[in-house]
Amino acid sequence: MKCEILYPGAFPMVRVYLDANETVKAESGAMVAASPTIDIESKMEGGFLGALSRKMLSGEKFFFQTLRASRGAGEVLLAPTVPGEIVLLELDGVNEYMVQKDGFLAGAEGVKIESKMQSLTRGLLGGEGFFILKIGGIGQLVLNSFGAIHKIELKPNEEYIVDNSHLVAWTSTTTYNIEKASSGWIASLTSGEGLVCRFRGPGVVYIQSRNPGSFGNWIRQFIPVSE
Amino acid sequence: MPLVPNALCFSDGLPGAGAPCHVTVSDNGLTMVPVGDSVLREEAIAFTDMSVEAGGLDHDQLVVSWGDGTSRRTVYLKDPALIVAFRRAAPSQLTAHLERAAEQVRRARHSHRLLWSSVAGVLIGLVLFLWFGSDLVVEWAVARIPIEWEQKLGETVYQDFLSKETVLKDGPAVSAVQEMTQRLTEKIPNSPYKFQVSVVQGPVVNAFALPGGYVVVFTGLMNKAESGEEVAGVLSHELNHVLQRHGLERMVTMLGLAAVVGIVLGDQQGVLGLAKQLGMELATLKFGRAQETEADLTGLRLLSDARIAPDGMIRFFERLSEKDKERVELFSTHPMSAARAERLKAELAALPKRTPIPFTFEWKPVQDSLALSVPKK
Repeated sequence: MKCEILYPGAFPMVRVYLDANETVKAESGAMVAASPTIDIESKMEGGFLGALSRKMLSGEKFFFQTLRASRGAGEVLLAPTVPGEIVLLELDGVNEYMVQKDGFLAGAEGVKIESKMQSLTRGLLGGEGFFILKIGGIGQLVLNSFGAIHKIELKPNEEYIVDNSHLVAWTSTTTYNIEKASSGWIASLTSGEGLVCRFRGPGVVYIQSRNPGSFGNWIRQFIPVSE
Repeated sequence: MPLVPNALCFSDGLPGAGAPCHVTVSDNGLTMVPVGDSVLREEAIAFTDMSVEAGGLDHDQLVVSWGDGTSRRTVYLKDPALIVAFRRAAPSQLTAHLERAAEQVRRARHSHRLLWSSVAGVLIGLVLFLWFGSDLVVEWAVARIPIEWEQKLGETVYQDFLSKETVLKDGPAVSAVQEMTQRLTEKIPNSPYKFQVSVVQGPVVNAFALPGGYVVVFTGLMNKAESGEEVAGVLSHELNHVLQRHGLERMVTMLGLAAVVGIVLGDQQGVLGLAKQLGMELATLKFGRAQETEADLTGLRLLSDARIAPDGMIRFFERLSEKDKERVELFSTHPMSAARAERLKAELAALPKRTPIPFTFEWKPVQDSLALSVPKK
């Protein structure tokens, strides 16, 4: 599997080259176009219960689509739903990424996806829900974001503070705590930041330059209210 | 054969996500071999030169560090077999520290598990309680709402509704409904409610009651009725919804359910949203049925007390359910099942026989007056 990002920027697309019989997992509905040699299979990653728990718990799609080059090599075009950048990550079997529930776009066959329960405080306050995706294994991983993707590299014990709704993914060597943005509760809420995540390296944190929740609130005012 | 990476190394000049490397444990230390293209070179580190701690998102990784300044290296081990091998080989002063860390992880996991199982237990308990005990909770809550609040609430909705509809102010139909209301309410002892009944122009065959004693009868219903007793039957049923505070019960149920479901499930979409909706509808349907039965039975008794022929209600419902099941709105909120009719008939048989006193009005002229008042809009 070889990936290439087309039209980098707000409206990108991924071109995935598959060798004969190779597969790629993608978020269901992500396929834009494909060679005629490609077959689309719907697959419940992790079995029925795994898929159900992922759907119920992390709000991810119940099915992933599996695109298989069953009749010879070909290519697939994939795109996310929301406007925003795409990032390609290489998984080598040791590195693992925690991905917020809308962040996964596609992954090679060897990429493993699980829902992972967060601790109670992280789940309640982190804004990511109690369950996030833990993605490991071997092969290329494609993540999408809302807005641009920004990569923050942290050295051991280096800290960085991120507004939790801007999180896309972070490595499992990185730890984080939820904190108030300001010292007082009132100041935290009125500053518009509320709760933030304090990340501690080593590792990498990917953040998105737009906040989907805020964007939703902003756009709601322009939607006519039906009678 | 190429080496399979089993650890990540962090250092100045290495990628932020860590450089893959292969770590092996020997009797006196670790050997780290970089995998793939890397500025790292193979390093052997004695146990005496390293520091060890637990790290990573879940504190389940072994973090080994050594060196100073730019040659400071930090390696994250995640492979359980490798960690076990390390703990076996490492000297006791290192392992003592490690065991403490491991113990911390175990304890954290244990309390984590304990916390989640208690959360799950509480949730299951809550669901069971809501399912089986919700009626009690709702009744308890409703009993604490003062009548004035209920009236204020009902009146707001009532006025809002009437302002959009054509209300019959006078005429035979209004007098007839007033007479029925009068006869029925006389027989309600110590009623805290002042009942207000309006006749509203509209083709729908329906009547409804709002909390606080506000009742609306549509002319469509009066057109379909064959006698005043039939309308009085529906009216009695509706008045009993008010007396039993069913509207309030429903509201408390809906609000409470929405709050609980929202808290428990968060604001998820898709399947969750569907399940949430389904759950709420099922629950309200359940309460609705029980309330209908209650209003049926108490309504029937009230009719009997008011000496209005009590079989009017049954006849009316039965006739309409046979004829125009599709068009009659009454049955979407008041489904008429055979079982329900049977229950009503059984209850009717058990009631003491009283000679009904007829109404002072003739039903036919009342209906005719409705036909005349139709095209007023």
